[in-house]
Amino acid sequence: MPETDSATVVAAQAGDREAFRALVESHSRYIFALAHRMTGSAEDAEDVVQETWLKAHRQLARFEARADVRTWLHRIAVNCSIDLIRARRHREDLHDPADLSEGPLGERGADTQPSPDRLAESAQMSDRVQAALARLTALERAAFTLRHVEGMSIEEVGEQLGLKTSATKHSVFRAVRKMRAALEPFVGRLLSAAEGKP
Amino acid sequence: MTGHLTDDERVLHHFGETARADRARIEQHLTGCQDCRSAQETLREVLRAVETAPPVEPRPGFERDVWARLEPQLDAPRANLRAWFGMPQWVLAGGLAALIVAAFVAGRFSGAALPGTPVAPGPPAPSEARERIEPDRVLRAAVGDYLDRSQMMLVEMLNADPDEPGQFGADQARAEDLVAASRLYRQSAAQSGDAAVTGILDDLERVLIEIANAPPDATSKEVNGLKGRIAAQDLLFRVRVVATEMRRRTESDREDGERVTRKAPVS
Repeated sequence: MPETDSATVVAAQAGDREAFRALVESHSRYIFALAHRMTGSAEDAEDVVQETWLKAHRQLARFEARADVRTWLHRIAVNCSIDLIRARRHREDLHDPADLSEGPLGERGADTQPSPDRLAESAQMSDRVQAALARLTALERAAFTLRHVEGMSIEEVGEQLGLKTSATKHSVFRAVRKMRAALEPFVGRLLSAAEGKP
Repeated sequence: MTGHLTDDERVLHHFGETARADRARIEQHLTGCQDCRSAQETLREVLRAVETAPPVEPRPGFERDVWARLEPQLDAPRANLRAWFGMPQWVLAGGLAALIVAAFVAGRFSGAALPGTPVAPGPPAPSEARERIEPDRVLRAAVGDYLDRSQMMLVEMLNADPDEPGQFGADQARAEDLVAASRLYRQSAAQSGDAAVTGILDDLERVLIEIANAPPDATSKEVNGLKGRIAAQDLLFRVRVVATEMRRRTESDREDGERVTRKAPVS
């Protein structure tokens, strides 16, 4: 943890409101990105950021100043995202935003723009990843992110999301299948370009 | 080579989650099958693209807005919690008991029940409204606060590392406090006929008792067992729903109170 973060946490623990504000300003973007990856919605991500800071403020006295503040916030933010996803579980999955029969994203709309070189392909890949993630249901997205990005085991993901292991696996499989259907053509092109194939 | 690996087998293999009994077969197949090796490589690249994609950026001025929304909320909850935990538990329990007994002496609870629970017949006369709302309001606010604190404990418990020794230790005193408070609320809710609140408090109390009485050197299996029971009952979700309902009703109580105050005739 940078020295400044450590000093800021100690000051915040002592009740320095400006120090807490400095933490909020330093880490909110990071929390937002994490929450957006988990929830897939800017609005939900903002709620998670808010809730994360409220919890962090309540737990501030228990935080070990020697520990990494970002790791601590990361854990709280993941938990808040999970809470939000679980709370909405019963009213989501009513519809599936992705229809695999639509084919890869690149075969539709803006993705038909020319991409003259590999660099441009790489830049477009980021948008394609976001678009592909947006096609997952909230549960698929959460299960996939917790497994693939957060590195939890499938069993742990199931515990976090309140799912049986078989249902968790199913969510991860569906998510990977959708991501692959959306991204494989472009990954293949990048791989070919990297290997110098036409 | 025939009998290629399935998509799901490849995914599990990528994540290192192939069942032990299948590992040798999968490895052996990948060694000998160019098609499956190639598919595995593509899968790895797709997932790497996801991992390395730049994060979504929030709108400009985001941090400033976060702080503007956050700052007004920082004092109130801290003050409540400090007051709650700061006083001896017997004082707290006694005070709450007195409040709740006073509520029943003053009259039956008249607030709307949660969906699916009996509703008290007929609205009170305007002149009685204020006195009849107050006791119910006290109970709802207290139960809402109690559920918020229980929710925090459940979240921490569900996210606890089962392999870390002494998982229950730090939470046991808190769990005991919550159990003591829960009994009062549960009895009050049962007497007022609020089945939804009684049910959630009942289930919550069982879990809290388990935490309070867990051995200090609980094994990871015991921790996982408790996590499983919390998840199987969907307890966190149910607590959150009732807590949200309590907050909504408390808010509505406040608005009702303000309306009654505004309408009250000057004598």
